[in-house]
Amino acid sequence: MRNLIVNRPVFILLTAFFCVALSIIYLPILVMIIFSFNSGRYQTLPFREPTFEWYVNLVSDSSFVDSFFTSLFMASLASIAATALGFLAAYAFSKAKIPFYSLFFGLILSPLVIPIILIGIGIRLQIVSVGIEPALWLVLVGQTLYVLPLAVINLKNRIDKIPKSIEEAGISLGSGRLHLIVFILVPICAPTIFATILLTFTFSFDEFVIAYFLTNFEITLPIRIWTSLVTGFEPKINAAGSAVFLFSLILGFIAQFILLFKQSEKQNGIEPRET
Amino acid sequence: MIFLSLTTETGIGFKNFIYFFSTPYLTQALVRSLILASFSTLIAGFISWPLAYFVVFCVKEKWRPLFLLAILAPFWTSFTIRAFSWQLVLSDNGVISWLIEKATGSSVALGILYTMNASIFGLALFGSMLCTFTLYGALVSIDKKLVEAASTLGARPHQIFRDIILPLGLPGWLAGIVLSFIVCIGDYAVPTLLGGGLKPVLAQIMLSILKGTYDLSQAATIATILAVTVIICASPLMFFRLFNRRRALA
Repeated sequence: MRNLIVNRPVFILLTAFFCVALSIIYLPILVMIIFSFNSGRYQTLPFREPTFEWYVNLVSDSSFVDSFFTSLFMASLASIAATALGFLAAYAFSKAKIPFYSLFFGLILSPLVIPIILIGIGIRLQIVSVGIEPALWLVLVGQTLYVLPLAVINLKNRIDKIPKSIEEAGISLGSGRLHLIVFILVPICAPTIFATILLTFTFSFDEFVIAYFLTNFEITLPIRIWTSLVTGFEPKINAAGSAVFLFSLILGFIAQFILLFKQSEKQNGIEPRET
Repeated sequence: MIFLSLTTETGIGFKNFIYFFSTPYLTQALVRSLILASFSTLIAGFISWPLAYFVVFCVKEKWRPLFLLAILAPFWTSFTIRAFSWQLVLSDNGVISWLIEKATGSSVALGILYTMNASIFGLALFGSMLCTFTLYGALVSIDKKLVEAASTLGARPHQIFRDIILPLGLPGWLAGIVLSFIVCIGDYAVPTLLGGGLKPVLAQIMLSILKGTYDLSQAATIATILAVTVIICASPLMFFRLFNRRRALA
């Protein structure tokens, strides 16, 4: 197909464009990682002696460590909650006949097409008008809402591909609906569920606005980094940024890898079993 | 949520809205938000075509996800950190100006950081990832047989592009455009870190209100105006998409 659409000069042109684009995307991140090992106090070249000073600084700064664990905790809970809810929603949307299907599906996906800052401010105004103080558990609710569409889309794509015959076989062998979900559907979808948890985890881990709007004093890692960037620069931000970047990159990459490769390999949803 | 910001408003009347539109500082921010979002989305839209084209048509099927991931990977990581890393590159004593200095021997003040252009650049880069992603989805699902048939009947590559790939890719592209516009107009990190705080966009003002003066009804007004703007700007594209789909079915 390639030769039909793309002739030689166009091919070279596109390849060159792609390479340039990639280098532009990754250049600043590379620079940041390099700077995180630079011993100079200021963010200027030339590069001085390499050092781990900023990383040591980072780990010994309790405000960073605390915020990291807060983020870790929040993101774990939010991702598991979103994936669980998302699985149920995806199952319903995939298998059940729902009145006003597209309306409800649209509603579930709506956080995708609303600027996230509006979600944050909306929840904040709501809780203030009801009289609830901003707190960490609200961030959890907000972030779960924010990553839910991702979970639903991924899981629905997966569940859609499971042939009806599997469910029918289960039911005719005497399995109830709950039993069917827990022992048949969940194991089939296990890789996708795992990938969804990872993906929603990265998104909620890096999420800033909702956490910023819904807390007063508790601080997540993105908030800590943001405060430092806006109020006054600390060189260890380079180190923090590099660490967070690599952390999210690896998680996101694994998740996407599973979603894009594993799924296409097992289109029909049945894994051959050696028994 | 948005409904609530509206009801907070009507309880007080339209005084807040009148205040908004009679304050040059705020209306300018609205205009700035619009300009910023539309320019960066436009640029992103143009960039996404060759990128998606390359991934879909120049790469072997097996490796496509990998190439796509290479473009999308930074997308998973924090917005703030990426905006900040551009600061390092673009600033007056950053990497680019250092390179220029080394090459020409004279020091130059780049003057890019803390301007509108820097914001547009940063957002366009982000938007192009989104557009590439949705466009990729559209292009990948194009039936090979269509292309082969056209080619057998003597279609040249540019004809194939015009008559098959462009119309079939358009829905995916438009979805990406809408999404990236929405993200761009609601963003606060890039305008703050790359555009500077002197000429704020609406999102920045909302952020500073909530953490500063804490005038909630004011924040609600701005949020409502932003939401309405998004709906107004996105609806023609959405409508076009629906229309297109219906035509494709008929």
